[in-house]
Amino acid sequence: MSMFRRGSNHAAAINISEAELTAMTADLDEMHQASLPALRESVDEWKQLHSDLRSKGAAVVQTVANRRQFLLGTGVLLGGAALAACGSSSKSASTSTTAAGGGATTAPGSNGGKLTGDLAIVVLAAGLENLAVGTYDAGIKAATAGKLGAVPPAVVTFATTAQAHHKAHAAAWNAVLTGAGKSAVTGVDMTVKTAVVDPTFAKVTDVAGLAKLALTLEDVAAATYLNGIGLIQTKAGIETAATIQPVELQHSAILNFVLGQYPVPNAFGQTTGARVPTDAIG
Amino acid sequence: MSLDSRALEERIMESQDLHSDSMHETRTTLDEMVELGHEDRASEIDPHEGREVAQEASNLVGRGVMGGGALAAAGFGAALVGLMSSPAFASEAGDVQMLQTSAAIENLAVATYTTALTLPFIGGATALPVVKAFVTTTMKQHMDHAKAFNAACTALGGKAQNEPDPALLTVVNNAKPTLTGPAPVVALAIQLETGAAETYVAYTSALASLNARKVTASIMGIEAQHVAVLRAVQALVAAGHPELITLPPPLDKLPAAAGNVGFPDPFFKTDMARPATEGAVK
Repeated sequence: MSMFRRGSNHAAAINISEAELTAMTADLDEMHQASLPALRESVDEWKQLHSDLRSKGAAVVQTVANRRQFLLGTGVLLGGAALAACGSSSKSASTSTTAAGGGATTAPGSNGGKLTGDLAIVVLAAGLENLAVGTYDAGIKAATAGKLGAVPPAVVTFATTAQAHHKAHAAAWNAVLTGAGKSAVTGVDMTVKTAVVDPTFAKVTDVAGLAKLALTLEDVAAATYLNGIGLIQTKAGIETAATIQPVELQHSAILNFVLGQYPVPNAFGQTTGARVPTDAIG
Repeated sequence: MSLDSRALEERIMESQDLHSDSMHETRTTLDEMVELGHEDRASEIDPHEGREVAQEASNLVGRGVMGGGALAAAGFGAALVGLMSSPAFASEAGDVQMLQTSAAIENLAVATYTTALTLPFIGGATALPVVKAFVTTTMKQHMDHAKAFNAACTALGGKAQNEPDPALLTVVNNAKPTLTGPAPVVALAIQLETGAAETYVAYTSALASLNARKVTASIMGIEAQHVAVLRAVQALVAAGHPELITLPPPLDKLPAAAGNVGFPDPFFKTDMARPATEGAVK
């Protein structure tokens, strides 16, 4: 530590007063002494915290199932506050690196401003869910109007249930946004609507055609959530996405079955086709 | 006044002695803290709490050292912060346990489907072709999942888990005498697949390692798809119409419930999530 080597025979005399040296040494000693209690206090505080957590016992932390109350109960509400911190940051979060194409995690907030980080992904998710709700709604109306030919009862129950699920998903994401003091997303992912839904739906003439379109949207949603789980920073945000992504894939499995395709075609979830927060939401 | 180097060295040595005494005392405290950390690595750790402890410890130590402005403790404090914030210290043990339990669940699924395929009504001459194909493919997918979980586990320095989940193995063994027809086999498979999917949904937000989280998230939805298909099959068997289990299905003949029985909840539950330590390598 010393700048001076013990036993050095080449030390030269230093022109400095004893008072100056004493003062400098005192300063150094004071700084040194001042730091140690703070360090000791911090270490003791850490030990106490550590001890407290250990003494809570395994009952508190042994099972992940114990956290379900948080996962499904307060998770979404807490998520709003937690995500707010990430979404308000001016820093751009990590970018997508999937085959779907990367883009900064920014999204237009429905209250006019650009949202960043986790909240940008939340806006995207809400926009995709709203698009799914609208597409199923249009499909159900077309079926009711007799434009799709005979519609089997099982297809009707599928469409109405899936639509209800997407409404619930959109509500969950919008609760995160409003919990963070942002406006709820009432619009849809216009990028997907314009490029995929509108031109495809215009050509739908039967149940199979509608099922194919629905399958595309479900797979896009599932891919977006899976991709998002690797990007979202907050635990509450990851939890919400994790409880929704499997449901979208369940919709996808039944649609594959309806279309006569193997219902579980992949051993692992795919991120190909995942949407990014640069999509237009409106 | 001029001061010779000898006098200065004496003062420096006094200062170093003081410093040495202080460091010795602090190191003793640190050793205790490190020992606590090692004890936790060897025992059950809740990963989420562990992450919080690591973060809080990092904050505490960082605040203490930097707040004190200590010259003497700066390097020491930086090392302390590095140690506390190291995922290895608080989070990797929990991640390894979760990945090992996940692999154990997959190993059990592989063993169960393998056994099921030896039954004449699942893998034999009287089996429905679609069901046999599903069981065969699903078994292979679970093999892939086990490999993926073990790869993620060993990447974190953990041991691969090649044994089945002991608690679920008991469930399967108890059920074996009752597997006299397709219905109980499907019911058992639904139980295992649901447990797997819910476990992975819960683990996804609890894992500290990004790679482990991505792997787990990419599998949870596939198990959910297995559940959806099995529930649809179960409904058709229960309704007395196993002949409708074909690919493609006779849509117009399917009961209305077949359209939504596969996905009863808009958000995937975690009631049946397995404890993180259940399948950990002992």
